[in-house]
Amino acid sequence: MSDSVIHQKEESREVTFRVHRFNPQVDSKPYFDDYKIRLEKGITVLRALNYIKEHVDASLTFRAFCQAGICGSCAMRINNMSKLACTTQVWDELAKSREPDVIKVEPLRNLPLIKDLVVEMDPLVEKMKGYSNWVESRIPEDEWGRKEFLVSEEEFLKYDKATDCILCASCVSECTILRANKEYVSPAVLLKSYRMNVDGRDSFHEQRLAGLVKDHGVWDCTHCYRCQESCVKHIPIMDAIHGIREDAIAERGTRDTSGARHAEAFMEDIEKKGKLVEATLPIRTNGVVWTMKNLLPMAFKMVLKGRTPPPPQLVKSTKDIEKFREEFKEMTGHVAKDHAKKTGE
Amino acid sequence: MKPFDIVIVGGGGAGLYAAMEAMKANPGLNIAVLSKIYPNRSHTSAAQGGANAALANKAKDDTVEMHIFDTIKGSDYLADQDAVEVLCSEAPKIIRELENMGTPWSRLDDKTIAQRPFGGAGRPRCCYCADKTGHTILQTLYEQCLRRGVIFFNEYFALDLCVDGSRSRGLIALNIKTGKVEAFPAKTVVFATGGYAKMYWNRSSNAAGNTGDGQAIAYRAGIPLKDMEFVQFHPTGLRKSGLLVTEGARGEGGYLVNALGERFMSRYAPEKMELGPRDLVSRSLETEILQDRGFDSPAGKYLHLDLRHLGAELILSRLPQIREMCMYFEGVDPIEEPIPVRPTAHYSMGGIDTDNYGRTVMEGVYAAGECGCVSVHGANRLGGNSLLDILVFGRIAGRAAAEEAGRFDPSPISESEVTAKEQEIRSFMSPSGHYERYGSLREDLGHTLGLNVGIYREASKIRQGVEEIVILKERFSHVRVFDSGDIYNTNLLQVLELRNMLDLAETVAAGALVREESRGSHTRTDFPTRDDVNWHKHTTYTLEDGHPRLGFKPVVMGRYELQERTY
Repeated sequence: MSDSVIHQKEESREVTFRVHRFNPQVDSKPYFDDYKIRLEKGITVLRALNYIKEHVDASLTFRAFCQAGICGSCAMRINNMSKLACTTQVWDELAKSREPDVIKVEPLRNLPLIKDLVVEMDPLVEKMKGYSNWVESRIPEDEWGRKEFLVSEEEFLKYDKATDCILCASCVSECTILRANKEYVSPAVLLKSYRMNVDGRDSFHEQRLAGLVKDHGVWDCTHCYRCQESCVKHIPIMDAIHGIREDAIAERGTRDTSGARHAEAFMEDIEKKGKLVEATLPIRTNGVVWTMKNLLPMAFKMVLKGRTPPPPQLVKSTKDIEKFREEFKEMTGHVAKDHAKKTGE
Repeated sequence: MKPFDIVIVGGGGAGLYAAMEAMKANPGLNIAVLSKIYPNRSHTSAAQGGANAALANKAKDDTVEMHIFDTIKGSDYLADQDAVEVLCSEAPKIIRELENMGTPWSRLDDKTIAQRPFGGAGRPRCCYCADKTGHTILQTLYEQCLRRGVIFFNEYFALDLCVDGSRSRGLIALNIKTGKVEAFPAKTVVFATGGYAKMYWNRSSNAAGNTGDGQAIAYRAGIPLKDMEFVQFHPTGLRKSGLLVTEGARGEGGYLVNALGERFMSRYAPEKMELGPRDLVSRSLETEILQDRGFDSPAGKYLHLDLRHLGAELILSRLPQIREMCMYFEGVDPIEEPIPVRPTAHYSMGGIDTDNYGRTVMEGVYAAGECGCVSVHGANRLGGNSLLDILVFGRIAGRAAAEEAGRFDPSPISESEVTAKEQEIRSFMSPSGHYERYGSLREDLGHTLGLNVGIYREASKIRQGVEEIVILKERFSHVRVFDSGDIYNTNLLQVLELRNMLDLAETVAAGALVREESRGSHTRTDFPTRDDVNWHKHTTYTLEDGHPRLGFKPVVMGRYELQERTY
């Protein structure tokens, strides 16, 4: 407590920037360099890095362009969170540092490293292309420019917030699915896809959606909300992801992917048995062949090492579970009705 | 290597529109866009306010004619009237075209594209998307280019043109990611690299990379530049960083207030008040500061832009980015407190001299957007006309280049030309004798320009500026790149960009010195009035023996006679 009072009074401080370094031309693996500099209050992390580059180590490499929080170039991990260096105050970060007066600076994750704090952005661009992240106009091209689409405030608000995205890739860097699967569509691309899909001027909704529900698509998200937490423009990315899913169920049902089937198997288990039967989930989600090929070897190993869980106990039909079943049925009934309404069945 | 039909340098609004239009004109063409950053990072994204077009959605009596007149008057009659006519008559179509391809324009109650008042405009004709207009336009264009399969060479830094007599054969560029110098043989080249106002460094609203690369390359290749002395200072830069608070903030009703609590614009533009044209408002702020009616701070004197009376709701819905910027960079929430502002170098009216099709004097070379000078902005650009400029003339240049590309077969770029460029770059890493750091050169350049070639100019000061720039160029010959690596060498890029800024700074100062009048953004305290008899003409600059040789070009007149410019 007394420390923070003193800090507030200080106009300048010695700060150590622990910066990730890697030059593939000379280094076999990445390492950290410590740069200790005296800074005034009110300085951003980017200005501190600029200072280091200019006065201490000219080889320190990072991207920066507008320096005003709009171009998205300078996204990097600062104290274990992806954000823009140009809008991040050093003093704010110091308050969060694990080690006093040390700020850790690393490149974005989930994208290939080029040098120091610079990562390759091409994989993200390729995904934008792969998921048709553009408006395919309902007006034929040779008629462009003649008249406006009329768009109500309500329609505009559907995509307004999503168009704030500056493709800084902070969400990409924080995404937990991408950590495991680099082919995953990525939060930013889902957001952009959603933005296009809810735009009434677009005519490609159906095809785009068909792509989004395939493997590595929208059903792979595990709702960890890390993308939304890290979004530098405070865009509710998860709303977009949920939006695509609702849309997908409404338009296509739940049989598209293992993810969708997984969700359905969950619902079925809870409804019928009151608990998950994990042993059969993979079969129902991905089929017998996939399970034998991909999970059986691991299951054998688990048996050999004595790491299999005990066989599932039956759940007694207590009152609570009965009640839950009823509520659940009612809930799914509503969903089914809504679905029928939407699809006009 | 087979030559490209078109190589477009720069991936902002002008470059992307050119690429899109060229592909539309002829899908069979082999087109490449070179950009030193990822195109979606381009400075077009920073344009907040909007783009002018006489759609007459908001004011039913608005006309293209009125837009033309406002633009010509705003330019202090230095704009070419035929070019302005192209700009303004194409405007409604191009705004609708963007709308048709997905730009998320804000809307009026009748569902049409929203428009708001902007400085120097007789009607509310500035089309906008909140305060992120440029960002959304850039995103739309980038998306549409991806849709069309435009080939991007991202993170390539253009070095120089390869020229045969009066014709370009393409250019040589540095692949930033690998450090390799590569040839781009091309039938046509379109420069769309943005402006040069970053030469004012800390007193500039521009991105770090707005260093006039295209203009400098063209200048070194013998292509004339035009009207370089006209640099627009935006009235409301944030005190500490120079970052911009959009004119939209005044369009929405913000007040400019001095330390005495006066809305001082009543002294300078009693009718238009805060919505006078930019040059006039900037001078007004500077005058208030010089006459000691500003606020004092360690970061220099400043004035207040007060939005508080607009209320939280309006600020949050119409100016959300501005509010965030004020909080991040100035520590001020405009809902609670006035914003500390002062004028900041913002836009370069000058650029590569082109005709109305973006053509330069060199065959096969085009320029568009802030990089070029058609000229539609003359001595002072109106707010909302720069996004319009990049769209309209980006498209025109793209189409013109596509038409020309079929007609030529340039001779190839030789290996020795590439090697020579490689050696030139290497030489920066090991200068002989003593060396200079680019950082101090860059600071000194910004300082001397701000002090001697800023808002108020006079002969003795400009002369001082010219001398200092020549000394800086000499010092630059000893500059050293400390990072000797090949991969992603940003230290090298900074030095190459500084070279471009130095070349252009000399033309800015030379033009400021020779133009003995005050017109638009160019204000000479020793020649305080406009002199149409001697100076109603464009200035041109051609590189000769390492320095600019000045020339002049008549202004294309039309329907509108010269008048005194009052607001």
